[in-house]
Amino acid sequence: MAIAARSPVGLVQRERALRPDLFIVIPYVLLSGLGVLMIYSASARRLETLGVDPGASMKRQALFVVIGIVVFIVASMLETRFLRLVAPMLYVGSLAALILVLTGLGKFNQGSQRWIPIGPIQLQPSEIAKIAVILALAAVLTPGNEEGLRWHRVARAIALVAVPAYLIFRQPDLGTMLVFGFIAVVMLFVAGTTWRQLGFLVVTAVVGTVALFQLNVLKDYQVTRLQAFLDPTASLANANYNQAQSQIAIGSGGFLGKGVFNGTQTNLQFVPEQSTDFIFTAIGEQLGFVGGVVVLGLFAVLVWRLLMSAAVAGDRFGQLVAVGVAALLSFHVFVNVGMTVRLLPVTGLPLPFLSLGGTAFLVMSLALGLAHSVWMHRPPMPGERRGL
Amino acid sequence: MADEAPQPDPAGVGDVKPGLRIGTLAIVFLGAFVVLTLRLWNLQLTAADTYQELAAENQIKIVQTPAPRGEIVDRNGRLLAGTRPALSVVVDRSLIPVEAEEDLIQRLSAFLNVPAAELREQFDDAGSGARFSVAGEVPEAQTLFLVERREQFPGVSVEPDPVRVYPQGVVGGQFVGYIGRPTEADLELADIDPTDTIGKAGVEREYDSYLQGSPGFIKYRIDANGSVLGLLGEQEPSPGGTVHLSVDVDVQAQLEQSLTEGLQLARDSYDPDCAPSPEDPKCPIRAVGVVMDVTDGSILGMASVPGYDPSIFVDGLSEAEWQQLLNTAVFNNFAIQGVYAPASTFKTIAYVMALEEGIFPADVQSDAGAYFCDGLLEFRFQDGSPQLYRDWLSDGHGPVDLHSALQTSCDLYFWEVALRVWAGRGDQYDEALLQEWARDFGFGSRTGIDLPFEQRGLIPDRQWFEEQQAEGSGRVRAEGGWSGGDLMNTVIGQGDVLVTPLQLASAYAAMVNGGTLWQPHVVDRVTDADGNVLFEASAEPINEVELSERTVDLIRQDLQGVVNGPAGTARSAFVDFGPLQPLVGGKTGTAEVIKSNVVAEQVDTAWFVGVAPINDPQYVVAVVVERGGSGGRVAAPTARQVLQFLLQGPEAVTPIAAGEEAD
Repeated sequence: MAIAARSPVGLVQRERALRPDLFIVIPYVLLSGLGVLMIYSASARRLETLGVDPGASMKRQALFVVIGIVVFIVASMLETRFLRLVAPMLYVGSLAALILVLTGLGKFNQGSQRWIPIGPIQLQPSEIAKIAVILALAAVLTPGNEEGLRWHRVARAIALVAVPAYLIFRQPDLGTMLVFGFIAVVMLFVAGTTWRQLGFLVVTAVVGTVALFQLNVLKDYQVTRLQAFLDPTASLANANYNQAQSQIAIGSGGFLGKGVFNGTQTNLQFVPEQSTDFIFTAIGEQLGFVGGVVVLGLFAVLVWRLLMSAAVAGDRFGQLVAVGVAALLSFHVFVNVGMTVRLLPVTGLPLPFLSLGGTAFLVMSLALGLAHSVWMHRPPMPGERRGL
Repeated sequence: MADEAPQPDPAGVGDVKPGLRIGTLAIVFLGAFVVLTLRLWNLQLTAADTYQELAAENQIKIVQTPAPRGEIVDRNGRLLAGTRPALSVVVDRSLIPVEAEEDLIQRLSAFLNVPAAELREQFDDAGSGARFSVAGEVPEAQTLFLVERREQFPGVSVEPDPVRVYPQGVVGGQFVGYIGRPTEADLELADIDPTDTIGKAGVEREYDSYLQGSPGFIKYRIDANGSVLGLLGEQEPSPGGTVHLSVDVDVQAQLEQSLTEGLQLARDSYDPDCAPSPEDPKCPIRAVGVVMDVTDGSILGMASVPGYDPSIFVDGLSEAEWQQLLNTAVFNNFAIQGVYAPASTFKTIAYVMALEEGIFPADVQSDAGAYFCDGLLEFRFQDGSPQLYRDWLSDGHGPVDLHSALQTSCDLYFWEVALRVWAGRGDQYDEALLQEWARDFGFGSRTGIDLPFEQRGLIPDRQWFEEQQAEGSGRVRAEGGWSGGDLMNTVIGQGDVLVTPLQLASAYAAMVNGGTLWQPHVVDRVTDADGNVLFEASAEPINEVELSERTVDLIRQDLQGVVNGPAGTARSAFVDFGPLQPLVGGKTGTAEVIKSNVVAEQVDTAWFVGVAPINDPQYVVAVVVERGGSGGRVAAPTARQVLQFLLQGPEAVTPIAAGEEAD
């Protein structure tokens, strides 16, 4: 009976596997394309004055977009069984890379050691670790037959996150470390922690944060950024400058924006790091409130579809992967946009699919693809028509 | 197989309901998106105008171009203060990357030949992002080097920085004044920057707003690095106005020359090489003079010697030189800032009062009535205690009337006049009648001359006396009230009477011109570059004193008698004046310097006020030599030279020679 019941379902699944979720694909493509355009508008002037091809950054990003789309498609095809298989290897591999980056192989840039140069490519192990941790957590949190989530499982999950988080903290990269914490909490929540466990986790997190400050383990620039955020009256010349200029760029965009290539803040390079961390200011200034809301809307659609994929997932592992990716994506969006509109301190998290940066784009595409595969391999809903 | 059957929960996650938890997550995430959207609404719709303004300001850089400071010229257009074009090196820290600053300082140090530490200090003083000039004048050839190597000197430019020049040097220095950086107090008063140059003293200060002009500006469009992308606008500076003084440089030069000689004359009788100091309180300290136009109050010359050359503030001077100048108080214009007891020069007030009010010594009926001036006056206080007053000439002057009393400066006659007022106080006369006459002629209040720091002097009366007693200021007796003796001191310009040389000159001008007390002024008009008049000093009377024609005629005659009469106190000082001597009138004065009611060291203040031509008065010349001794001996010959110059021209000025010791 079971076999009889399952085989038609399996057939349907195989048929449906070729049908992507357009609510994921279209926002993904639109955001990536917009990113390339915005990167061009934000970088052309600066590159021109440096005497290099003004389209250099744009072209590089476009290349990564093409590769990223391929990665997305491939990832969308993968089945959860395969992912469960590679999860441990990927986890161990990324830990190794995170350790390597702290050795002499790692490249210093702006006070932190985050990159391993491999030929022309700058590999960022912490980005790969994001995928590895999502998969590993999903594997650990997929229970056998236990009722609810036992403490020992919660402890294993935390240990699993804590190791890479600590290595990333050592780089240091506070923003990415927080991403891991957020993913872990969200996945634990969906995996079925009790409220007591959740409360314990939150208290631990708060105590940990206070300890970070009290024990003087934060780098000076991190403290400065936080202080600048807490005291916005500090001089423009200080750490505050980025955010003040970012705020001016977005605010001056108004309802419809100044038009692409017409933003004074963008053209005259008043926003530092605009192509990368502050790409949202290029959107806010040039495309205005309308552009900003459309971008946020596209992200909201993606998050909605990822959570939807989780809700209809065929198995718990896939569900947790989809939730993890949704957490990853939304945390990046909230923290990045929140930073540019001065709701949150500067943390250096890129805006997914829009910020200039190869590894980040590929990893986000991979993550999105994995979550997409959960959708593609979902069981049919009751009453769902065949072949749809 | 059975336990692998599909469970009611399609996701197969046991007893927790992940759907509910995922739904909760969805709501939380949605909430975050809503927060971000609201924030965008707030920034881009509610506050868009503010940010658009900030964005516009961001890309604009305004550089001020200083206006050339206006000139100060004398009544004939001769330059007293002007500007000479010069170049200086200006650093704009906002255009220098912080890491390049140390390097730049090293290069500038080598280029300007200024120690790097000194430059570093200038950078620090100016503050981050400031724009300032790093060195004084730089020769044009040197600036070319800089312009050609612009890339080695980021943020450095060569800009016109005019230098103030004072071609007359020390002549007129005190009223011309000088310029410099504003003090803390200046900054609070006006809308100026610490790096601005403002007038600090004299006309430079008083007419600063005209002299400043208005700076121009250049408006650039810049990017975040401060690189200039284009010119948005430009406004040429409009140069400051030209201040035309009523002063005549030649008169001024003669005045200063005569004051210098007069001061030396005073020193010669003590110790020709003495230098004034606290250890040498008898050395004549300075000579002060004012030359004024009787007909409209314009100042032709004004000086106190020793003076200073305002260009020392341009070229800079050492700490020791600065201290030396401060010790001798050369920066003070004693013609308006110095207060002295006027002594006998003040008797003209009582003289005018006597004629106008008909007040003469007891038993004397008119101004021609004789009174025996025997050199000693006994005066009883209300309690009966006798007080003896001695005339400056111990043997007295014999029988005098009002006219000879003024010419010979008989103290007794004027004491008797004061005593008549005192005797009739309350019913016949106002007790302060004399003081009122003095105040009518401008004493006790500022003339309002267009120069800073003027003093008001003092005309004492009962009210002032009682106020001082109540305050316990130590300036008056602690016991007893205002007395007839105080009035007797006042009438001969002693006691607590204090006047500035300018007040005295201006009062004499009013007495001989028919009663008009003009407001003195050193500036005649201010014109702009096109010759348009921006400001014009109109001859403005402060007061019209009602004087009969007879009074005016008589005072002219008697002042003429002081200089020309056989017993005139200034006769000997004017003997070799020249043909126009009969046209000169004046009054001597010798003030005893009294401290705490004890006659201090016998170094008197020597006064002379001259008026000419006496039949149709044009000039009044007031001279005071501090610690100079007798007015007739020292001050009168000094004024004589100036009057010779005014009436007969420069060739007619004869060498200075001491006059007779006379009050």
